[in-house]
Amino acid sequence: MKRPILVASMVALVLVAGLSVLLATRHPVSDATSANSPLVGRLAPALEGPYLGRTGTFDLAAHRGQIVVVNFWASWCVPCQLEAANLSTVAWSERHRGVDLVGVVFNDTVAAALAFARHYGSLYPSIVDHGGVLANRYGVTAPPTTFVIGRTGRVVAFLVGPLGTAQLEHVIARVRAQES
Amino acid sequence: MTLTWLGRAALYLALLAPIAGIVDQGRALARHRRSHALILAVAAMVGIVGAVAVMQYALVTHNFSLAYVAENNATFTPLLYSITGMWSALEGSLLLWVLLLDALALGVVLYYRREARDAVVGWATLVLFAVMTFFTLLMVGPADPFLANPAIVHQGAGPNALLQDNPLVAMHPPLLYLGFVGFTVPFAFAVAMLVTGRVQDRWPLEQRRWSVLAWGALSVGIVLGAWWSYQVLGWGGFWGWDPVENAALLPWLTATAYIHSVIVQDRRGLFRVWNLSLAIATFALTVLGTFFTRSGVLQSVHAFSSSTLGPLLIGFFFVVVALGAVLLAWRGDRLRSPVGVGHPFSREGLFVANNVLFVGFAIVVLLGTIFPLLYEAVNGGQVSVGTPYFASVAAPMSVVLLVLMAVAPLVSWRAASARVLWGRLRVTAWAALGVVVVLIVAGVRRPTELVACFLATAAAGAALRTLRGAFVSARRRGRWLAVLRAPSTGGMIVHLGVVVLALGIVTSTSYATRSEVTLAAGQRTVVDGQYVSFTGFHQVRDALETQTQVLVSVDGHSLRPAITTYNGRQSQSVGTPAIDSNLARDVYVTFDALGGGATSGAQVGGALPAGSVVLGVTVEPLLAWLWIGGLVVGLGALMTLARRPQGVDA
Repeated sequence: MKRPILVASMVALVLVAGLSVLLATRHPVSDATSANSPLVGRLAPALEGPYLGRTGTFDLAAHRGQIVVVNFWASWCVPCQLEAANLSTVAWSERHRGVDLVGVVFNDTVAAALAFARHYGSLYPSIVDHGGVLANRYGVTAPPTTFVIGRTGRVVAFLVGPLGTAQLEHVIARVRAQES
Repeated sequence: MTLTWLGRAALYLALLAPIAGIVDQGRALARHRRSHALILAVAAMVGIVGAVAVMQYALVTHNFSLAYVAENNATFTPLLYSITGMWSALEGSLLLWVLLLDALALGVVLYYRREARDAVVGWATLVLFAVMTFFTLLMVGPADPFLANPAIVHQGAGPNALLQDNPLVAMHPPLLYLGFVGFTVPFAFAVAMLVTGRVQDRWPLEQRRWSVLAWGALSVGIVLGAWWSYQVLGWGGFWGWDPVENAALLPWLTATAYIHSVIVQDRRGLFRVWNLSLAIATFALTVLGTFFTRSGVLQSVHAFSSSTLGPLLIGFFFVVVALGAVLLAWRGDRLRSPVGVGHPFSREGLFVANNVLFVGFAIVVLLGTIFPLLYEAVNGGQVSVGTPYFASVAAPMSVVLLVLMAVAPLVSWRAASARVLWGRLRVTAWAALGVVVVLIVAGVRRPTELVACFLATAAAGAALRTLRGAFVSARRRGRWLAVLRAPSTGGMIVHLGVVVLALGIVTSTSYATRSEVTLAAGQRTVVDGQYVSFTGFHQVRDALETQTQVLVSVDGHSLRPAITTYNGRQSQSVGTPAIDSNLARDVYVTFDALGGGATSGAQVGGALPAGSVVLGVTVEPLLAWLWIGGLVVGLGALMTLARRPQGVDA
């Protein structure tokens, strides 16, 4: 090779061009898919459980009149790691606007779940689903699965997979528009 | 409304000045006359300072007519967190970014004002103006910090709970940004040197100073970020190989390679083109890091909410790399140094090893960071690359790094002689062996710890030996203080800081114990040799938060781990750990659960007796040395700035 630097810089350029195209075409976190569930349109099943990492119990019935986002998660689930920061962002920005976010931990140890919530700086409460009772009741088989429950207590959206900030905000806005 | 217009007017000034600068500088270069760079850099600075002043005024007075203030401030936000609110979200953080960038550009123009007609300075100024234009344009276009708020807001949302918990929020981002922004200067000069074809002058070494400034700020910024995470998040760790942490680490790695290999260029005239490539790569990686944090493509603890900046930033990244690659392809082969490294075991040969190590590790980290995206593009599924991948490379790399630090400063330039080297190494080698024997006698048995201590002692010995040399020669000339400005003093102090930091990391992670204890009021227990007792509760209520503190005493020191609920609503609560730290160990206590009633989160199945608490207790030996090491690194970097040029007397 007579001009090694010429060759090397051209190779680098091609690699970086490929990388740039790849990065430029990525969507902001692949969004969850809105799926059908027999629950959509019906009254949400009872949801009650002890908070993770602090005292007290969460009871869905006490939140009638609010929009409640229920997110089933577990610390071992990779997509849950992807969406954790997004859920905190939405929980924080919507906290004065009649939206409550609650996580439901199932199929997990409490210590691992607590470590997960801390690591991701979780800004919403989670409850512990001992024995997967709540997951069964909601027909959840794998995390992350998210339900959006309207002010009247009906399930209005069922989302499978990791949520993006914009997507969740969009669903919440839609629910608000429908119910006002 | 007034604030919106004031802020925007200031931003337009900050945008038009560098645009005018590009045109003016271009004409000046074409006609070989002086440019008006100084006045335009001052104008840009006035513009951005005006914009920052408007934003700060709005934040401090809780003026919710700006949407940004309504989102990131509240009537009850304390002054400190009102000020730091400027960098707690995307749009405002760009204000800080451009403020630092414009200040640095003004600094460069002022520093080289006597040489303003030199083509290298001219081209570098032009590149600086171009970078300023790009980042200011982001705020005039898609990320406008001065968007008016149409709604009437009485209280405001307030900054994210985690960002109003610790004063380190005021230090970590500005230093990190200064580090990122600082690499613009070496990049600008690298481009200028390639365009003019002058790589043999004093410019490469001049650039080392600017790089060390940025490198020092970035190092301290990263360490402070780790410290923040350790104090606030409550998981007891300080580094998680999160994509955004990696984004800060990547330019740090290539910059570390750069500030070492540029020494070889200074002393031996080698690596000319390689150094330029490193300067360009470092700046490109800062842009890529900015993309990772602000595009929402990678999820991380730090990600700003998804924005439309992604394509712009990645486009800019590509332009930077393409410009660098084309210039290197055009000039590179002619600028290469005619000779190569003579002996692989000479000083310059070991600098090559250093560069292979740092650049290699940068590639490993980059691959790990983008692998989830590659995987998703090919397979459609999601994976995360976690700590095991990075740690499995970082551990052997640290070993090689310490070996290099122990040997390289003692090896001669050009040729190596095993006898001379052993003569210089002997004392530290025996000392290191002695330390290991003492440790074994004292009961330390873990091989990782013993190896780390052996190498760390040897590396510290090498640094101290070099420092002693500088000291002796300063004394001989009767000028004691000259040792502070000796060529290698700052660098060797950085080495000592790294040694201390490495010992802190290795010991605290390999000897950490985590346990969870349940205590009733007044009860006492022993965790890993520390007496932990729980005495009661304390409630603190103010307009901002309700805090439930647990009064705990660790070895007689009182600690208050707490759970903080913000603003009267139960749904947002943050656990705040409490730390009892001394030079020997850190005891890290978190409030995990509270007994009373039938249920408690931290207890599976069985109920806790009322009035008892569950505490997470983590004991990490020597952890404080990590922060001390980081500060020593920053100090060494500062001393390097005052360094005497090598040629004057060495």
